[in-house]
Amino acid sequence: MLRDIIFKELLDTISSLKFVFTFLLCTVLVLLAVFTGINNYRAELREYHASVALNRSNLESQPNYMTLAGYGFTVTKTPQVLSTIVTGVQNAVGKSAKVSTNIDPGLGDSKYSSSPAFAIFGELDLTFIVRIVLSLLAILFTFDAISGEKEQGTLKLALANSLPRDRLILGKAIGSFISLILPLVIPLIIALLILTIYPDVNLLREDWLRIGLIFLMFILYISVFFTLGLFVSARTLRSSTSLLVLLMVWVTFVTIIPKAAVITAGVISPVPSAQEIAAQKDAVKQEAYMGYQQSLNEWMEQNRPKTPEEGKAFQEKFKEFLEQSQKEMLAYQEEKNATIETGYQARKKKQEGLAFNISRLSPASSLMFGAMSLSRTGINENDRFVQSIRSYTSVFASWVNVKMMRNLKLGSVEQVKPDLSDMPQHEFKPENLKSSLVRAIPDFTILSLLIILFFTGAFVSFLKYDVR
Amino acid sequence: MLQATDLTKRYEDGLLALDHLNLEVEEGEIFCLLGANGAGKTTAINLFLNFIDPTSGTPLINGIDVTKDPLEAKKYVSYVSENVMLYGNFTARQNLDFFAKLGGKKSLTKEDYHMYMRKVSLPENSFEMRVKNYSKGMRQKLGITIAIIKDAQNILLDEPTSGLDPKAAAEFIKILAGLRNQGKAILMCTHDIFRAKEIADRVGIMKEGRLVMVRTREEFLEDNLERIYLEYMQEAVA
Repeated sequence: MLRDIIFKELLDTISSLKFVFTFLLCTVLVLLAVFTGINNYRAELREYHASVALNRSNLESQPNYMTLAGYGFTVTKTPQVLSTIVTGVQNAVGKSAKVSTNIDPGLGDSKYSSSPAFAIFGELDLTFIVRIVLSLLAILFTFDAISGEKEQGTLKLALANSLPRDRLILGKAIGSFISLILPLVIPLIIALLILTIYPDVNLLREDWLRIGLIFLMFILYISVFFTLGLFVSARTLRSSTSLLVLLMVWVTFVTIIPKAAVITAGVISPVPSAQEIAAQKDAVKQEAYMGYQQSLNEWMEQNRPKTPEEGKAFQEKFKEFLEQSQKEMLAYQEEKNATIETGYQARKKKQEGLAFNISRLSPASSLMFGAMSLSRTGINENDRFVQSIRSYTSVFASWVNVKMMRNLKLGSVEQVKPDLSDMPQHEFKPENLKSSLVRAIPDFTILSLLIILFFTGAFVSFLKYDVR
Repeated sequence: MLQATDLTKRYEDGLLALDHLNLEVEEGEIFCLLGANGAGKTTAINLFLNFIDPTSGTPLINGIDVTKDPLEAKKYVSYVSENVMLYGNFTARQNLDFFAKLGGKKSLTKEDYHMYMRKVSLPENSFEMRVKNYSKGMRQKLGITIAIIKDAQNILLDEPTSGLDPKAAAEFIKILAGLRNQGKAILMCTHDIFRAKEIADRVGIMKEGRLVMVRTREEFLEDNLERIYLEYMQEAVA
């Protein structure tokens, strides 16, 4: 009997106009999203290679260590292959960071800051399609699942037979779910095949696993709205009421809660602006430089050569002093900056954590966080990259200062071309699958719990549903 | 056999929809329940189908207490509603197939369904037509086909001729007569006193949840059913 109900539900939906419409819409949108994702990724890849070559050439053309230290060079982030599916925050944050002894490490301009028009409507990626379009379609598939059958009288006719209600709702749920997933799965399979035919979209085994997990998350997310639709339909007597309630819940889940969460977190846990932090760091830098100048003057007063014979020895001592005091100045700066930065990052993290946790009341936020964790296109990966630049800047500054002092020729205009053979290289290891999965587990759990909650609600409500 | 013993239903809002209904519908009998809107006719059917729980009393189908074993009891009853809607995107045959399977008939062929539809005089070209294109009369006939296919010993009909044109109603009544002849116990709730007079073996008049009068065919033909019914209705209005 269960099989008959599932089959009936499938046949009823597949022969309806809404299925044809959903299938066409999903196919067009999914393929469009994947093509857009692939094109963006390929453009980013070309941009990345060009940027790396340009940076290398700039680096090699530096005339001396002092220019290298001050002017620095740029490190560009490797594009994430899974940004073809989940854009994440990639376009909202910069793709490259300047490394120098003068500039506080941080990412440069983003795609949105250089082309604000893109920020107006956001990205058309697969996650957007699932988050907005498919969640709405899930509601359209289920808002009349129970109340609609009551209105048309088929529920009474079916339950006039020796048909247990639990079997009826289970059959309806399975049948409707299959008919909802079909229009998504088929275009997704086509999209994956398309991904494989582009040679520069190089998907490794781990990437396929990540894609599998992202798709699982998509299905869980759609299931949340699907079971919510069933639940509301089993709690209302008219399908128009059910649709109205569901649309209100959808708007709350998809748009209001995520935005309200960020505002609420900002009020509860305020964070100083980036400009304030930069000003604090500038003050530290100025203080360190003043100290350096003062110690330089004092040293000069005490060690000024009295005879020309002492000149050469003075130069050597002066170089040693400069190297030492530069080191001290940097160490002081680093220590103070680290304190400011740690405090700032801690408050930022606290605010972010609060915003994320509040927004997780919405399944749309859980989907975004989970998908971004799994595709390595989220805030966490961005923070890791910035952190790696920060650590690297300190290593680079130490290296370049030593080189600068060792090659300093006082009183000479001769410039020593930097030898880059032993320059420490920036390395950034993207997050491994296990760590990404650990971060995505709360989101998987939230979505699964919501499904259980809504389905149980629908099930229990239907057992007592007034079919008259 | 359909049997109601002191069947009572009082809703949460205090409304007494059915007040100690006692009736029996025997095999090969058509019992018509007449009454105004809200008299309790549909409530009685809903209690027999376990769509609502009685406040007191017992609805029995073939001696099985519906409240205690609804799934077993419903094996022996078919139901035709006032406005049979079915699944509009399905053809008549697909609808029959689904409801036949729910009714426990699993192995019917396309030809079997066509044969059943011929029995109720549905036109041949409508067998594979989508039900959303059916007229009300055709849908009612399809509804009774579902009941015929289930072949249950008892049939509950809730205003089955409401909204049908005279020809369709006459055809419907003819089908019911055939089912009675097969030995089915039929309980039909209706406003249609003329159809009741035409087909019923017994009629009962319901007023404010109570069965106030029962007459056999011989009695109501002799006493003028229309007059009796109008008298009860006028009392209700007064």
